[in-house]
Amino acid sequence: MSAEIDALIDIVITGKIKEAKGATQKCLDAGISAKDIVFDALSKAMEVVGEKYAAKEYFLPQVLLSANTLYQGLNLVLPLLAGEGAESKGTVVIGVVEGDVHDIGKNIVKAMLTGLGLTMHDMGKDVPIKDMLQKAKDEKANIIAESTLMTPTLAGMKDMENFLKEEGLKGKIFTMVGGGATSKEFADQIGADGWTYDAVEASHFAAKLLGI
Amino acid sequence: MSMTPRERVLAAMRMEKLDRPPVAVFTQSATIGQMDALGVSWPDAHSDAKLMAKLGAGQATVLGFEAVRSAFCLTAEAERLGCKVDPGKKNSTPMLKEHPFKFDPMESVYDEPNIMDPEEFIKGGRPAVVIEATRLMAEQYGKEYAVIAGNTGPFTLAGHMVSTENLVFGIIMEPDEVVKWVDAVTPVLKTYSQALADAGADIIQMSEPSSSTDLLSPDMFGDYSGRFVKECLAGTKGAYSILHICGDTSAILDGMIDTSVTGLSIEEKVDSAEAVKHVNGRVPLVGNIGVVKPLLQGTPEECAADAKRVAAAGFNVVAPGCGLSAMIPNENLMAVVKAVKG
Repeated sequence: MSAEIDALIDIVITGKIKEAKGATQKCLDAGISAKDIVFDALSKAMEVVGEKYAAKEYFLPQVLLSANTLYQGLNLVLPLLAGEGAESKGTVVIGVVEGDVHDIGKNIVKAMLTGLGLTMHDMGKDVPIKDMLQKAKDEKANIIAESTLMTPTLAGMKDMENFLKEEGLKGKIFTMVGGGATSKEFADQIGADGWTYDAVEASHFAAKLLGI
Repeated sequence: MSMTPRERVLAAMRMEKLDRPPVAVFTQSATIGQMDALGVSWPDAHSDAKLMAKLGAGQATVLGFEAVRSAFCLTAEAERLGCKVDPGKKNSTPMLKEHPFKFDPMESVYDEPNIMDPEEFIKGGRPAVVIEATRLMAEQYGKEYAVIAGNTGPFTLAGHMVSTENLVFGIIMEPDEVVKWVDAVTPVLKTYSQALADAGADIIQMSEPSSSTDLLSPDMFGDYSGRFVKECLAGTKGAYSILHICGDTSAILDGMIDTSVTGLSIEEKVDSAEAVKHVNGRVPLVGNIGVVKPLLQGTPEECAADAKRVAAAGFNVVAPGCGLSAMIPNENLMAVVKAVKG
């Protein structure tokens, strides 16, 4: 592992947001490929951030700082990935389901999955289920990730499973659900492919689903 | 000796020794079952004092709980201060559609807080509806039942004004700007809390979900939320105060007590017995039956068992650990009431 990569990892973990672009550029200048920067530095750093969050060493403010630091680097290297001919490891449509606007958790999951090198389509909050499904079909997504903190919106997640079944897409597009009102039991009950407690688990689960 | 439900709830606020704890919903209390029984529904009841009073009393008049409670959401204050709100449906609470002020730690752009005068604040919009509903509830139900008035905490309200994510991120990027915003919304909440007490509320129940440990670290709680909660409630005359925070509050129980509120309302993510042990009689505890499980997704038997567990742990008021989902069935709530009242 090069010193440039190590420096970038440290910058993302410690949230030195103003140094992230420069450090990413240094990696590129040292001849490190965009792909290696994403997977060996940025993705690894977010993994460590996730571990620190799980250990209650980091709380949401630090995670937001690291996520925003991550994006500084990603914005520089993601456009280069396509040029290198590196294949995306998977495509995810993510959103907070219709009837709910609590999106902080969704944004953290998005950052973690972006760090995994997945192509993310963020539909935002209060998103109609059919819109998420349509987007997933249009983008040939591997995963639909749905979040809600509230209870009235749980019904929408069940609708998603029914729509996927009706269209014969169950098993072709995986579903992941999460958020305060959800549980493993609920996910099993509606037939979602997975439920995760937090963003760290979500990234592990997505990696497993896609064989990363 | 027979006590009215009101006397029992107020005795619990004073931590008096009782033959059994009261059972009451201190957080959002309305459900579809109550709406159907009373012929009053959301979203109408959010903005009409008479309907709010009738539905807010439903926990007692329909289900047998020992208090009544005004307001069903945490958007009344934000709407009054300029946030756009979608009123929601019969089964869902109102949602904030946008945040009127810019607070962008990435670009270092921060609007100055331009917050309405507190006296003006309580005269109009939905805060005025909640005050009037509280007055009606005190008049119509206050002899028999404790009247609880719910409002929103200062860090949560500041987050509504500028986006909670940006506010939380701001703690690391520009803490002074965060403090400026929380400080700016505090006077309206202080005046609002006193107005609710003056209207006849026995208890002000302030919800501050955005300072949950899911969002703030325990050492941030006092600086960005706790001291402002204290400013809002410590001087409230004529009513008890209860601070409700969601999530696992184990690490901030002391900080919550330091706000000088009368008591704490906490969620099921905190172990009931541990909470009672830690708080050790310093303040009354309200909670902490699980709202999603067992209340929404469990059986009446599971709900009754959870209520008994909370009572046995020593909670001063047996209550749901968070705002009720409107879809919780009557039989589950009635099972809780029966388990405690016998």
